[in-house]
Amino acid sequence: MDWLEDELKEALRRKEPSPDFEARVTAAAGRRRPVIAMPPWLAAAAALLVITGAGAGYRYHQGQVAKEQVMLAMRLAGSKLNRVQAQMKVVRP
Amino acid sequence: MTELESVVQTGYDFAALMREHRAMVFSVAYHFLHDRDTAEEIAQDVFLSLHRNLGAIQSAAHAGFWLRKVAVQRSIDASRKRMRRPQVALEDVAEPVARGVPADPMLGETLRRLISTLPETPRMVMVLRYQEDLDPSEIANLMAIPVGTVKSHLQRSLALLREKLVRRGVREE
Repeated sequence: MDWLEDELKEALRRKEPSPDFEARVTAAAGRRRPVIAMPPWLAAAAALLVITGAGAGYRYHQGQVAKEQVMLAMRLAGSKLNRVQAQMKVVRP
Repeated sequence: MTELESVVQTGYDFAALMREHRAMVFSVAYHFLHDRDTAEEIAQDVFLSLHRNLGAIQSAAHAGFWLRKVAVQRSIDASRKRMRRPQVALEDVAEPVARGVPADPMLGETLRRLISTLPETPRMVMVLRYQEDLDPSEIANLMAIPVGTVKSHLQRSLALLREKLVRRGVREE
C-alpha cells in the first residue's frame, strides 16, 4: 500500500453521527411496529381458524335466539293456561 | 417497543445493532455525499428500515452486510435525487493555488473533496475500499457489479487522484 492509499484510509476514516442520533432513531422506531414475517401456511391456518370460529359463533348465536323464542312461547302458553284454569274455577266452583 | 421486547420478538437487540453499526452507516453516506445533514437522514432511514425488517435478520454478520448494502443503495438514491450540485468530472476540477506542501489535515479534506467529484459508481467503490477496507470481490458483491469493473474504477480513480495531488506539489512521484 503506497502513501496515497494510506492518506485515503485516513481521510475516509469512519465518523460518528451527532450525539442525539440514537435517541432520535429510537424515538422514531418506537412509533412504528416491526413487521414480523409470517409463513404462508400459518397465515392460511389463522384465516381458517377465524372462519371456523366465526361459523361456530354464528351457530351458537342462532341457537340462543331459538331457545329464547321457545322459552317465550312456553311462558305465553303457561299464562294462558293459568287464565283458562282460573275461569273454569269461576264457572264450576 | 422496549429493548427487551425487541430481543424477545426478533432475537436481535436493535439498540445494540445501532450502537455497533451507526458509524459505518453514517460514514458511508457522509463520505459518498459530503453532506452531514443528508448523511444523518439516510442513516436514520437505514436503521428504521432495519427495525421494520428485524425478523428477516439471520445473524450478526448478516445484519452488518444488510446495513452496509442498504446504506450504499440509499446513498446512491439520494445522490441521484439531489441533483443540486452539477456533476463535474475529476479531470475538470480546478486546481487550487499551490502554496507549497499543504499540512496533512488539509490533504485529508482535499482528498474528500476530490472523491466527492467522482461519478457515483467509482465514488462508492473508493468509499467502500478505503473506509470499509473491503476487497474488490466484496465490493462487487455489495454493489452487484463485476469484480473487473471494481478493479478498473479503483485503478483509474487512484491514478486521477495521484495526478491531481502531484500536480499540486503534494508529493513527488
